[in-house]
Amino acid sequence: MKSIELLGKGEEMYGRAYIKLNVNELEEAIKKLKENGFTHFVMLSCIDWLDKGKFELVYHMWNYEEKEHAMLSIDIDRNNAVMKSMSHLFPQIETYEREIHEMYGIKFDGNTRLTPFLLENWPHAPPMRKDFNSEKFVKQVYESIPFIEEDENEGI
Amino acid sequence: MGIYHGDKMMRYEEWSKLARKASKKSLWMVHFCTGCGAVEMPPVMTSRYDMERFGIVPMATPRQADVLLITGYLTVKTLRRVIRVYEQMQSPKYVIAFGSCAINGGMYWDSYNTIKHLEKYIPVDVYIAGCMPRPEGIINAFIKLMELIDEGKARGWEKYQKYYDKYKENQRRAFNFEIKEEQKEEENEEH
Amino acid sequence: MKEYELFIGPQHPGITGNMMYHLWVDGDTVTKAECNVGYLHRGFEKLMESRLWMQNIPLVCRICVPEPDVNEAAYSMAVEQLMGWEIPDRARYIRTIVLELARISAYLMAIGSYAGSIGIYTIPQWSMGDRDYILDIFEQLTGARVYHIYIWPGGVRWDIPADLPHLIEKTLNYIEERLKLYDDVLFENRIFFDRAIGVGKIPCNKAIEWGVTGPNLRACGYGYDVRKLEPYAAYDEIDFDVVSYPDLGKFDAHEAGDAYTRMIVRRLEIEQSIRIIRQALKKMPEGEHILKHPNWLRWKVPEGYAFSRVESSKGEFGYFVVSDGGLKPVRIHVRGPSYTHGINVAEKILQGANIADVSQILFSLDICPPDIDR
Repeated sequence: MKSIELLGKGEEMYGRAYIKLNVNELEEAIKKLKENGFTHFVMLSCIDWLDKGKFELVYHMWNYEEKEHAMLSIDIDRNNAVMKSMSHLFPQIETYEREIHEMYGIKFDGNTRLTPFLLENWPHAPPMRKDFNSEKFVKQVYESIPFIEEDENEGI
Repeated sequence: MGIYHGDKMMRYEEWSKLARKASKKSLWMVHFCTGCGAVEMPPVMTSRYDMERFGIVPMATPRQADVLLITGYLTVKTLRRVIRVYEQMQSPKYVIAFGSCAINGGMYWDSYNTIKHLEKYIPVDVYIAGCMPRPEGIINAFIKLMELIDEGKARGWEKYQKYYDKYKENQRRAFNFEIKEEQKEEENEEH
Repeated sequence: MKEYELFIGPQHPGITGNMMYHLWVDGDTVTKAECNVGYLHRGFEKLMESRLWMQNIPLVCRICVPEPDVNEAAYSMAVEQLMGWEIPDRARYIRTIVLELARISAYLMAIGSYAGSIGIYTIPQWSMGDRDYILDIFEQLTGARVYHIYIWPGGVRWDIPADLPHLIEKTLNYIEERLKLYDDVLFENRIFFDRAIGVGKIPCNKAIEWGVTGPNLRACGYGYDVRKLEPYAAYDEIDFDVVSYPDLGKFDAHEAGDAYTRMIVRRLEIEQSIRIIRQALKKMPEGEHILKHPNWLRWKVPEGYAFSRVESSKGEFGYFVVSDGGLKPVRIHVRGPSYTHGINVAEKILQGANIADVSQILFSLDICPPDIDR
């Protein structure tokens, strides 16, 4: 597959190319793929591996001529989650990084627009992390609000 | 007090009965698509399940509308705007809630961002069951609302005025995602 | 001139759903625009991690409200990649018919909403009525008008009844007759030419870099369609054309990438969809409609990373599914087409437009807020 030849490593998984990189090789790899036909940036996903203690960021790119889909994957530490921003390469990466900052708590250096995106006025921990228990949160916040009962003694 | 009608004076109850009979035949609804139930509103508004023959017309501003439709689930961010729209409408005003998400949370019962029971935040007059309700069900709900107005039983706005402090307290707790102090202490004891 | 701030907010008849645009205006022109979403955020990806693989299907179809079958198909394709399943031929053709019917109903809704935003109010009344006949077909087939839960991993849920092809033929003939009336009222109307030509242009050399997909990209001059690039269901055995600028059939081609071209592309693709459904009905083979499936309550999907993509009426939908061999998924990430159209592209195009054209530009990009917020 063309992306595996260009970058020199990786394997094929269910018809797509899955390439594992180091953090400092990422920017050069994206630039090299962008000049060689991989012009469409599909999306940026984040996976939380709680028991292995890391976050995995996956950058998806697509080539319209060769019809090939490449997944570039890097690992960052869960307790000290900082990463360099890639928003100068493609403009929509800025929005994906904004969402990951809000949902997982990863800080991106170089992105000037890390403001609240989907949640408003949220004071607790980032909600997509695996140690945030959604069912318990619902019981504490929403179920504890009382119904409003009418008093029988007062008249209107 | 009263109004002169010929020789006799019309009492307040008879006047309001006449006003309700007239107002139920021309309910104007606010044009606000809050959730997924809004995709069944265009078939109701257009020529197949025509609702304009009942006198119901969509209206762009809440200042001149009578009915607020909550079409489906509500997130906390939308609830703020819905409360503002509801308080801008003038009495008498009515609320119809669509779908199972407004009754008890529905399919999103364990979501961190949607409210589960709409009754705790604004008073509701008619509920429609289903996910999602059919257009015939929506028209059925409007007819039921017209019957309730005729009998004088649709009094949600008076309940909101009377228990205003309790409603505001519930809304404030939802907007700030507040966890009360006693529950946090229980958690610490368990650890 | 002083600069004013305007909020085209969630309660407004001129925006495509429940979202908000924050505009800074100077006189009558917009100088800066910012998008504010999150009014429909239910936290789908968190909900999907605590349900079994089969329990996610009723959740998945509620991500795109006008066209829910596309999401069911993409999720099923990703899970079938991980399991290594090949679905039977009859199921592939039935999936093609269902997806194309959903596409026609979504295009009718888009054309109706766009015409309402430029003031031609006859077209929404007509197109919502015509779309209802397609929802009648869905009700005969699956039992529900809007959310179908029909496309499952391994095939489709049950076989089509015997009198359904006749009803589909009757509805398609009716829609073809009506398209001539739409041309008279909207697509060959002087008002449409004056208002839509040259308005809301996307610069064509930057379209792919900005992440534009679907009919919006085809109106910029690139003939890319996922159904031809990476065929799924039965599209590799059916003959159809990809509509792109500058070959626009019987309509004149003016500028590339403006609101006029985008709406003409959508109008011509309805004809291509009708052609696909007729061929699929003729070529349908006999056979099973679903593979023999395991016990849904104890079904474990093997480890791996899978990505599947589908062409919907708004753009390219993508699903990234990660599994570690358990009963519940580890991560499902949904890529909606309006994520790039509604935020990055719209904020750049709205600069320099009139206030009266803001609503028209947003409807011609066909932005759907549920797939931004999920």
